[in-house]
Amino acid sequence: MTGNEKRMPTTPKKTPPAKTTAKTPAKTPAKTPAAKASAAPPRALGVGRVARVIGPVVDIEFPADAIPDMYNALEVDIDLSAQGEDEGVLHMTLEVEQHLGDNMVRAIALKPTDGLVRGTEVRDTGAPISVPVGDVTLGHVFNVIGEVLNAVPGEKIEITERWPIHRQPPAFDQLEPKTKMFETGIKVIDLLTPYVEGGKIGLFGGAGVGKTVLIQEMIYRVAHNHNGVSVFAGVGERTREGNDLIAEMTESGVIKQTALVFGQMDEPPGVRLRVALSALTMAEYFRDVKRQDVLLFIDNIFRFTQAGSEVSTLLGRMPSAVGYQPNLADEMGTLQERITSTRGHSITSLQAIYVPADDYTDPAPATTFAHLDATTELSREIASRGLYPAVDPLASSSRILNPRYVTREHYDTASAVKAILQRNKELQDIIAILGVDELSEEDKIIVSRARKIQQFLSQNTYMATQFTGVAGSTVPLTETVEAFAGIVKGSFDHISEQAFFNIGGLDDLEKNWIRIQKESS
Amino acid sequence: MGAKQRVYRQRIRSTQSLGKIFRAMELIAASRIGKARERVGAASPYAKAITHAIEAVAVHGNVDHPLTIERTDTNRVALLVVTADRGMAGAYTANALRASERVREQLEAQGKEVVQYVAGRRGVSYFTFRHRPLAGQWTGGSDSPSVETAQEIARVLLAAFLAPASEGGVAELHVVYTRYHSMVNQESRVIRALPLEVVEGELGAGETVPPLYAFEPSAEEVLDALLPRYIEARVYSHLLQSAASELAARQRAMNTATTNAEDMIRSYTRLANAARQSEITQEISEIVSGADALAASS
Repeated sequence: MTGNEKRMPTTPKKTPPAKTTAKTPAKTPAKTPAAKASAAPPRALGVGRVARVIGPVVDIEFPADAIPDMYNALEVDIDLSAQGEDEGVLHMTLEVEQHLGDNMVRAIALKPTDGLVRGTEVRDTGAPISVPVGDVTLGHVFNVIGEVLNAVPGEKIEITERWPIHRQPPAFDQLEPKTKMFETGIKVIDLLTPYVEGGKIGLFGGAGVGKTVLIQEMIYRVAHNHNGVSVFAGVGERTREGNDLIAEMTESGVIKQTALVFGQMDEPPGVRLRVALSALTMAEYFRDVKRQDVLLFIDNIFRFTQAGSEVSTLLGRMPSAVGYQPNLADEMGTLQERITSTRGHSITSLQAIYVPADDYTDPAPATTFAHLDATTELSREIASRGLYPAVDPLASSSRILNPRYVTREHYDTASAVKAILQRNKELQDIIAILGVDELSEEDKIIVSRARKIQQFLSQNTYMATQFTGVAGSTVPLTETVEAFAGIVKGSFDHISEQAFFNIGGLDDLEKNWIRIQKESS
Repeated sequence: MGAKQRVYRQRIRSTQSLGKIFRAMELIAASRIGKARERVGAASPYAKAITHAIEAVAVHGNVDHPLTIERTDTNRVALLVVTADRGMAGAYTANALRASERVREQLEAQGKEVVQYVAGRRGVSYFTFRHRPLAGQWTGGSDSPSVETAQEIARVLLAAFLAPASEGGVAELHVVYTRYHSMVNQESRVIRALPLEVVEGELGAGETVPPLYAFEPSAEEVLDALLPRYIEARVYSHLLQSAASELAARQRAMNTATTNAEDMIRSYTRLANAARQSEITQEISEIVSGADALAASS
């Protein structure tokens, strides 16, 4: 096969997905605008044969009149006993990613391709991968193709409806125009990067600065008080963390209101690329059909990009900057544009985003930035000082930190806090060179207040209870704003710095200060 | 050039120019300190002589003079602290102020009311920032004090000391200054300048018994005439000591600062090099893999 033949189809075939996805909702009862466009005559589903297997990439030859559409799911049954290895039949799903010409399609396997041999029969299902949707999903754990993973033996799960995972984003005129703040009870988040109800929130951070802990903290905080449903997508992260989460949710009972979809690190790239879409599809059903408010947690969206890059390379596409897939922005866009709120019904999403080598200019996190309403950046420097949650107050931002959406007092306090921290950062160089005695009197005050602010931005969290032995705290927004306004004004200049460490609100501060005074006297 | 590299290069540049300033200030301080030491040396014989004379008068005169007797009509005491006009002298001013605050606490614990006097701009800004009242302040020329400044300070302090209690007179005069021992050793000191503490019968080795004088017209009048000169000499000597200390502290602080700046430049240079190298590595690997992909497919 020549390069031209191989690559040429790739580019033109990239356009059909839009068409295909536009058609697919038609097969569901969902009232998407695209539904009217469906008039394709029924066609015999093709049966092809495996022509080539390279890792998770499988080339399949189909009869010329029955080539499957892009993104169609293909199915293979491998009889393991025939190969003299094991008993039973291995069922495998593949997804069409490229039409190569010469009646060949290239597909990505959603299971390891061990045991797949040339000549194996492959059936076209005539539709993209679909997952169960509706109330039946609540309390269950799924894999990417919608199989229940936590069914108790004998349990009968009645799946009434399945939706394809490739769908169109809502039209512009259906988007929610209102903006409302989403209170979390975490001081640093509420004050400096207020979250948007029905918005998209990103938690950025390098390895081991506490992304997963923070996302679990948010699940604990918001899923409990949330009166809608939650959907959790585990994308390419540790299986252990997924297990912990399930155990934790079962214990607290939140699992009754939650659907979980996992495609962890041990899964092939195709799975990690599609698992976020599977979870999102379940969330969309709750939003569009059940008309509920949905919380969508994705941990970790970078793994989605990473899987896309793996798939892209396996498919033989030319790598783009830093080795990422050439359609990086497009892939991210098709996912992110679907995570949105329509009039009156919201999907509030929290996404953890791994930042490779702590480099925020890396194309993967950089592409994700633009889609988010609020970004919370976790910093290694702050984590190394033992201040958790390790939110970087200067790098984090929110679209709604603006007097149009939050109170004037909140905005002014947040600005003042940032100004003090920024000034403190500038002074650090001078302190490093000349020593703290050289600062002017005003600057000394700024440095001491900045240090208090930094300490006060740390907070005792529910997830850290098992490590610190200190129960978590929820601080109402008004108290957060009042407390920080106090520090900025100098009302707490007399209280020593360590009293501000790892506490909740003003009551805690007072108690802590009294305790410290007692200890030192 | 990537954003990271640019940030590092800019920081290196600004640190370099700071380093140059520090180096220059170190040299200036080093060249001035010799002169300051000379002046300390030159002033001390006179200060010693006049102190000696005053002591002699006080010991032998047996007079009731404000110089020697404790005032009991007021609990106000004057506290003069000598600081620098400029920073860049490490902990020089901070130490002097710390010593001054300690004395203040002690005096207040004794039930005395402290009237604060300050020489040096840094000290003035310290007190004005805290909204603390200053009875008198002198700024300018802290690293080469003039006799006129010393006279002016002495005049104000003496006036306060001799004034009646109802007009804000003070019972004692304390001075906080920094004594110059050597280039590496300066020490914040507190002395009670007035009233004189007359120590009788305790002579150390090498000291001589104050000579006997006959006073004309009277011991009181001699003391009255000596007092302003004595205060002037003391203040002037403290200012000179402090000036030498300031310069020594500055020279040392600037030396450390230059070293710190060099260290910072070194670590920033490493970071900048690493950033540059990683950019180069990345670009090369992208070009190579791109070329490989093209070669493999053609």
